[in-house]
Amino acid sequence: MKKRLLIGGAIILIAVVYLLYLSFGSSVSYYVTVSEFFDRSDELLDTNVRVAGNVADTSIEWNADDLELMFTITEGGKNMPVVYDGAQPSGFKAGSTVLVEGKYDSDGVFRASQLILKCPSKYESIDIE
Amino acid sequence: MTEAGRIALMIALPVAVFSVIASIIGARAASGRLAAAARSGILIIFGLYTLALALILIAFFTRDYSLTVVAEHASNDLPSAYTLSALYADKAGSMFFWGWLISLFSALLVFQTRGNNRRVMSYAVAILAFIEAFYIALVTFGVNVFAVHPSPPVDGFGLNPLLQNFGMLIHPPLLYLGFAGFAVVFAMVVAALIARSPGTGWTNLVRRWAVFAWCILGIGNLVGMWWSYNELGWGGYWAWDPVENAGLMPWLLGTAFLHSMAGRGQRNYLNTWSFCLIIFTFVFTLLSPFITHGGIESPLHGFYGSPFPPYILAAMIIVIIGSMMLLYVRRRDLKSEEKPASLISRESAFLLTNIILAVLVFVILIGTVLPRVVEALGGAKIALDRSFFDRTCGPIMLLLVFLMGVCPLFGWGKSIWKSAGRNIIFFFLAVIVATAAILISGIGNWYIAVVVLCGLPLYIISRELYRGAIARHRSTGKNCARAFLSIINSNRARYGGFLAHIGIVLITLGIIVSSFYSIERTVTLDIGESMGAGKYTLSYNELMYKQDSLKISAVADIQVSANDKSLGIMRPSYAYWFSRDDFFAEVAVRTTAVDDLFISLVWTGFDPEDKTATFRVLVNPLIVWIWIGGAFFLIGGAMAITWKEKQSSGVEG
Repeated sequence: MKKRLLIGGAIILIAVVYLLYLSFGSSVSYYVTVSEFFDRSDELLDTNVRVAGNVADTSIEWNADDLELMFTITEGGKNMPVVYDGAQPSGFKAGSTVLVEGKYDSDGVFRASQLILKCPSKYESIDIE
Repeated sequence: MTEAGRIALMIALPVAVFSVIASIIGARAASGRLAAAARSGILIIFGLYTLALALILIAFFTRDYSLTVVAEHASNDLPSAYTLSALYADKAGSMFFWGWLISLFSALLVFQTRGNNRRVMSYAVAILAFIEAFYIALVTFGVNVFAVHPSPPVDGFGLNPLLQNFGMLIHPPLLYLGFAGFAVVFAMVVAALIARSPGTGWTNLVRRWAVFAWCILGIGNLVGMWWSYNELGWGGYWAWDPVENAGLMPWLLGTAFLHSMAGRGQRNYLNTWSFCLIIFTFVFTLLSPFITHGGIESPLHGFYGSPFPPYILAAMIIVIIGSMMLLYVRRRDLKSEEKPASLISRESAFLLTNIILAVLVFVILIGTVLPRVVEALGGAKIALDRSFFDRTCGPIMLLLVFLMGVCPLFGWGKSIWKSAGRNIIFFFLAVIVATAAILISGIGNWYIAVVVLCGLPLYIISRELYRGAIARHRSTGKNCARAFLSIINSNRARYGGFLAHIGIVLITLGIIVSSFYSIERTVTLDIGESMGAGKYTLSYNELMYKQDSLKISAVADIQVSANDKSLGIMRPSYAYWFSRDDFFAEVAVRTTAVDDLFISLVWTGFDPEDKTATFRVLVNPLIVWIWIGGAFFLIGGAMAITWKEKQSSGVEG
């Protein structure tokens, strides 16, 4: 009985580790702030990466016909122009802290496939920048 | 006046410490008077804590901005219905409320067991008083909920409009009810281990508290999904966000704990495994606010950026180390584990369910904290997107659905070949073959296989209910409906479990189908233009502006039709909130049993000349079954809570 349980346990363990291994590779991405990105821009160019920053004032432009949202995120004195294909989420405005996921291309624009706003279920209060 | 609340808690703190000491000494010296004094202590703490809560609530309802928590989360224009939401919106406020629930439940337990002077109760009182002392110290000294604002503003900062929703009014307290319930279960189980022989009455009480905590926590998570779906406007309900995972992990562990208790039938349920499960369920409830409010996912803040994680971490370490020491001291009492008689028996199925649930929690935990741990250890900053969770948790959940289907076929201690009929095995094999055929032939994707697989538990559980009712009908001559009710009533824990399983399978079906067959379109339209989404046609008729004291809204008037049949008007809106200087969408959802039509007005220029607006439209199939599944789950849980197991008769098959 004990032997069978051990074998069963080992099979489950191997299966789980294999699943984790398979999923990790394709789901993982680097995660940096704007200034950190520019410090390492050589290695991060054209790779999938998440960049965090604050939306710069008066930088938001929305092209309703092409459904393109353009804005600049800033952090640590560095700015990064972002183009996101899609409408802005609720609560998105100048000063919001956002996370963009995508690639920084060689023309100096970050093409975001995802735009994540700090989750409102986090109950923001005044002290959030 | 609110200062009186702080004073009440400061009096409650030494009372809690007294209760801990008196209870332990009372139990060891078999002194009934000390034990009784400790129990009175629990009631006194509840009274004092309730006074403090009442004063805080008065401060909220009268908008007393001299209190920091009121000034930061309430405002004059906040509808009074959402005043409570403002309390939980604050991390100190939510810990305070949670602590009050623990004091309420402790008092309830003391009341429930009045006249019981057994040692096990004394130990439970000591542990609960200790937990209460921790919460009281936390909210008075750690994150002071009574903090006075240095310069009280005329109007408060107000509450995020996204939190002003019925779902958000009840979602946090439901989670806290579940968490507080698990604190009681934890105390009762640890007490049983200290006292060695808790007795069957105690076991039954533990089971009912555990089902209560688990059911409420499950519903709390579902309400959170409902809120996310109806309020956030992204058309989804679950994103594997750390905040969501924080509520899911304790629920999954609690599920494993319940099954480890149930899987042992009437035999001694307290084995090492279930003991560990309840410890970690409790630890994860402590971890939850650390993730939700502690900024674990916040990119611009550090890991320890918030004031209470050190307290929480300390509490978690105390709980884990203390419990492990107890486990070591009592290891001989826990050794008498019986081995399952057959590998394919119900005991094994329960054991397997347990292992799978624990693995699932482990995987979610890795996905939630690993990126931050790697970073804290000085490694690269990495992020895992939700595909990680979908890919790892999806297959694991499928195994659970499969087990839910086959479990009722197993007998206790017998192998499936003896307990199940031959035709059921054929059905079973047919489902497996169909699933495999779909996967191998490549006709459908793996998620079609899942849908087929979900049929298995639905069919087998319904069949089980049907057969029970028919047998009862034959033996008693009652008509079929009454026979059905009476068979369910005869063992509400068992049939409640079946209903909960049906609920979970329906939820799984809803999640899988809506995730993979959702249609999404984002289109900018001018007045008079129309668009198609799946079988629906949407015509943008008009945009109207409405203004009240809080916001100015643009309300779109959309004529919806399908197959040339008009289905009426839907009105999504997009509003500018003055106090927030920000825009928020209010979605419109049309629900049917087949699919949801979800329209979110995501942009318009508020220009009377140009009424062009951008709409995000989703057709989400079978979403409603997630909420219907939730109702099954709730009814099943309620049945199991209200059922008192007779002391002599066992939990039959």
